This record gives sequence, C-alpha cells and structure tokens, in this order.
Amino acid sequence: MFVGLSVAGHVLAVGVWLVLGWLFAGPRMELDQKPIKASLVRLGKPRDDKLLPRKEEEPPPPPPKKVEEVPVVGPKPPDTAIKIPSKDAKPEKEQKKNLFDALNKTGKQAKPEELEGEADGDPNGDAAKQEGEKYYGLLRSVVKRNYDVSNTIDEAERRRLRAEVAFRIGNAGELLDVDVTKPSGNELFDEAVLAAVKKAAPFTPPPEHIRDELKKNGVAIVFTP
Amino acid sequence: MHNRFVALLVVVSSVVFAQGRTTLEISGANFRPMPLAVAAPLTQDEGSKAPAVEFDAALMYDFAACGLFQVLDRKGFLADAKEGVTASTIQFARWTDVGAESLVKTQLSIDGANVRGDLRLFAVASGREELKVSESAPSSNPRLLAHKLANAVYKFYTKETGPFETRIAFTRKSASGRDVFVSDWDGKNAARITNGDVNVLPALVPGGGVAFTSYRSKKPFLFVAKGSGDPQQLVGKGSMVTGASFSPDGKRLAVSISEGENAEIYGGGADGSNLAKITDTKFFLNTSPSWSPDGKRLAFVSNRAGTPQIYVMGADGSNQKRLTFQGNYNTTPSWSPRGDIIAFTARDERNAFDLFTVNVENSKVTRLTQDASGNEEPVFSPNGRLIMFTSTRGGGRGLHVMTFDGNNQIALPMEKGDVNTPDWAP
Repeated sequence: MFVGLSVAGHVLAVGVWLVLGWLFAGPRMELDQKPIKASLVRLGKPRDDKLLPRKEEEPPPPPPKKVEEVPVVGPKPPDTAIKIPSKDAKPEKEQKKNLFDALNKTGKQAKPEELEGEADGDPNGDAAKQEGEKYYGLLRSVVKRNYDVSNTIDEAERRRLRAEVAFRIGNAGELLDVDVTKPSGNELFDEAVLAAVKKAAPFTPPPEHIRDELKKNGVAIVFTP
Repeated sequence: MHNRFVALLVVVSSVVFAQGRTTLEISGANFRPMPLAVAAPLTQDEGSKAPAVEFDAALMYDFAACGLFQVLDRKGFLADAKEGVTASTIQFARWTDVGAESLVKTQLSIDGANVRGDLRLFAVASGREELKVSESAPSSNPRLLAHKLANAVYKFYTKETGPFETRIAFTRKSASGRDVFVSDWDGKNAARITNGDVNVLPALVPGGGVAFTSYRSKKPFLFVAKGSGDPQQLVGKGSMVTGASFSPDGKRLAVSISEGENAEIYGGGADGSNLAKITDTKFFLNTSPSWSPDGKRLAFVSNRAGTPQIYVMGADGSNQKRLTFQGNYNTTPSWSPRGDIIAFTARDERNAFDLFTVNVENSKVTRLTQDASGNEEPVFSPNGRLIMFTSTRGGGRGLHVMTFDGNNQIALPMEKGDVNTPDWAP
C-alpha cells in the first residue's frame, strides 16, 4: 500500500518536474557554437621603480647536452630507429639527401603570404617585386637565426668586425656555393658568418622572377656583430 | 596590416642593390661559448701518469669555469683515445662530428723534479694548429702546470692575461672560530693563514700577504699576515676595524673604523700609516670600501639615507654620490677592474639575497642571480671578466664563479661548508 503510494508520488513529482522544465526551458543549446576561450591576463601595474630589477628571461640554460656515444647492446634496433654514427661509419649521403628533400618539400609548402593591395599602390601591381623583397627578408631572418659567434672574441675587437659573405641559391632553394668575399680579418668571425649561411641552407625555393638572379649573381650579406 | 607594411619597409631599407647582386645587412650576433674539446692528456712516461690526473681535472675546470668555452663531454668523443697530438695524426672529422670548434691536446712528461706539459690548440674546421706551448711545474703541483697552459689558451683568444694563476682569500668556519685561507683561483692548494680565534673579511695585499679583521686581541682590529710569520696588527683604532681594501697599486689602504653607533671610512698608507677620515656622517655607518681600478675613487656602503646603499666618492672623500636607488638593502660593493660597473649584494622585496651590478656612469642596475638560493659577497677577477661569490645553493655556503654578466654560474671544486667573503687578486 505504502510502496504503491510512494511510487505514485515519485512518478507524479518527476512528471511535474519534466513539464515545468519543458515550459520554462532556457535558450536552446547552440551545438555549432565555437568554444569561448578565456585566458588569464595580468592587469597588474608596472614594477615599482624603487624595487630591484628581476630578470625577465630565465638565466640561459646550461650548454646543450653533449653527443653521447650509446653502446648498442643486444638485438639490433629496427631499421626505423635513428642510427647512431659509429666510429668508422661515413655520413650517409642517401639519408642526408632524403632529409633535405623532406625539408625542401616543407619549404615549398610554405608559400609567401599574399599581400593586400595598397590604396596608393602601383595600378599594374607590384606583387612580384614585393614578393622578392619578402624573400630577401626571409633569407635575412633564417640566416640571422644561425648567426652564432664565439664569445672568445675580445669585446674591443667586436666593434670593428665586418665581413661579407656571398652565395648563390638554386631553384629548389639549395645552396649552390658560398664564400667570404670580404673577410673581417678575424678568422673566428669569418668562420662563424660562413657557418651561419651554411646552417641556414637549404632555403625556401625563391619566387620565380628572382630565381635567375639568385642563381647567377647570388646574394651578399654584410655581417656586423 | 600596418605592422606588416612597416616590417616590409625595414627589410626594403636594408636591401641594397649593387653590382647586380642584392646585398643584405645582418647584425645582432648571438655570442655564445665556443664548443671546445679537450682530449685526455697523453703521458710519455710512467712518472707522468700520477700527476696527469690532477693536471687534467684542473685544466678541465679552468676551461669550463672561465666562461669562454662550452667544454664538451668526453663520453661523446668519437676519436681514438690514443690519437696523436699533431695535425697530421688527428682525424678532424671525428671532432667536427661531436660539435667541437676547437680542440686541445696535451702531452705530459717528467723532467727531473718537474712535470712538463705540451699543449696544442687546433681549429677543428680548418684542421690547423693555432697554438703550441710548453710549460713546466713541480711534479708535486701539476695543477699549476694546467693553470699555466690554460692561461696560454685564454690569452690566445682574448689577448688578456687569464685568471688561472691568480689567488683568492676566504674564511672558513673552524672548531674554535673562523680562519683565513689563501688558495689558487679554484680554491685548491688552500693554505690556512690563521689558527684559532675569529678572523673575518680577508683582503689580499697586492704583491703578497693578506690582511683581515681578527678578534685575536681584545678588540676586532686589522691584522696582516705575510710569509710564515705571525700576523701583525696593521690598524688598531676605534672599537672595530673592518672592510680593509688595498688600492690596485698596493700603496694605499682604505678601511672602515667604528666608534659606537658610527663608522667612517679612513684612507692611508698600505702599512696603516697616516690614516685620515674621509667620510664624516656623525650618526651613520660608512663601510666596505672598494677601489676603482685607477685608484682615484672608492665605492662604499652608507646608510645615511636611511637604508644601506652603494655610494662612490673620490679617494680623498670628495664628490660623495649615491649610486643605487632601488632596493633597501645594498651592500658589499666590488669595483670591476674594467672600471665600468660595481657588483654588489642586495636583498630584494622577496627577502632573497642576490647579486647585481650597477653602472658607474648611468646608475643602471642589472640583476646577475635569481631564484638560486642566497647569493652574496661578489668580487671581480683581476681581469674583470669573472665574479666570484658565495652561494647557499646545493646546501652549505660555498664559493661559486660566473661571468661578469651572470652567465655560466659554477661551483669551485672545493669542500663546501661555511665559506665566506672571498677576495681575488693577481
């Protein structure tokens, strides 16, 4: 009897809740709505002038981990494993080539962004010219990223250092040749600037209208510390 | 869009068309330590095998701590350990493969009571021998041989005298108090100068000897120890004599003399003669003098403005000028031998003790240490490229060294413990 009443009461309560919920439902959920991203921002005031400065960046990390010779024990690793150069192994040209090819491919995909027109721009369009300039800007930034110089060079000498490196770039962005055309007189610096260009290669394939120029005359970079 | 246009303009402005070839300009190099491979020393005879161990440890530390090099781990070396020491016998490709830009090879031999070391330095890319140098040292002190050879390499690159044959002084807690020690730059070969009592604030005397404040008499006065004789009192005045500092030419002494609540800086002869008061602030403290490299000025600490701050003045007390205005607890100045900056200890708003430098000309404060335990009591190397300091990182207070701009912080290879107040002199 009581169980029957209790069940009936519960059924009634659930029914009322469902009906009320349907009558007073809020706005329908928008399933296509993009998630709203919220990020915490610091509204804080600038650091008090009276306080001692803090380092903005963490102190430079310790020197990169040295190459370690790992003894290979037990069964041979599968072919897909990265090969560790053994003492007598010669650099595998094939492997390097594959790597460069892969890099070239990614380079090709990275097409320069299309520029929007300017109100007072050239009516015949100067996209090609701008693209060329943009390519030189790109060259600058990839070479600069590799512009590492030994700090054994004396500070007084750093001020007068200046070297020019000239290089030619192939259609696929490969480095055809590179040379220090105006040495600084400091061998360490000259080697460093040469290495900066070599390490930056291969480059993104150049846009069509400057390919010939880059292949024939090449490009020069003047380095100063 | 606007930003992109400006960026484009910057690129265009740096593109110069000349001789049919486009010329770009790049500046702002990343200066970084040179990757250096130091091959294990080769021994030419049985007798040089024992000293080779200490020699090698000292040489490796010198290169690692001086801030110029990134010393590569030998575990990664691909070259044969028995590889020769001449350019024709070295397979440079194997050194290139481990990332070395320079390679050091050494060879040891016994020559009577001495151990002789031959060092060759190679540029790995060109495979060329750049430096060949031979030195010798008593077989009982192979570290000295390492320091001499490391100095030759240092000088080859920087054209400056290296710091490896300099000496340092520091104090260490003992069972009965605190003792003064003088050692090699790396804390090795330490000689105990005092024996018992409390001895603090050592100052190396140019040309030899060390001065320090000692409680060996009734009051803490200034003593000097030279040679093997007993320490002699140099200055006994007021209630306490602290912070002795000798001018770089070794002729003059600056010291702080306390009387009651007041401490003033005095200047006089290096033998403690003709002492004259050069600060005069009545109710405040003026302490920790440090000479400028030209001997014409002094940096010091004063609390005349309410909190301890770094000041500079002429060696005669003229033109006293406050240099630090940030922080409320700035102490222990050390004037760079290059003249441009003064290193000091500061307590920041988090109550952490850290090291800073202040530019003498424009008062710009730069932080050197951060979030690495407590760091105090900086002192410059005689060539101004390094700073030694005490740190509590890693447990215990020990000596550490870093470059003048705060890079490459590394502990001295010495026993930790309560080590304080380093001084550093040629």
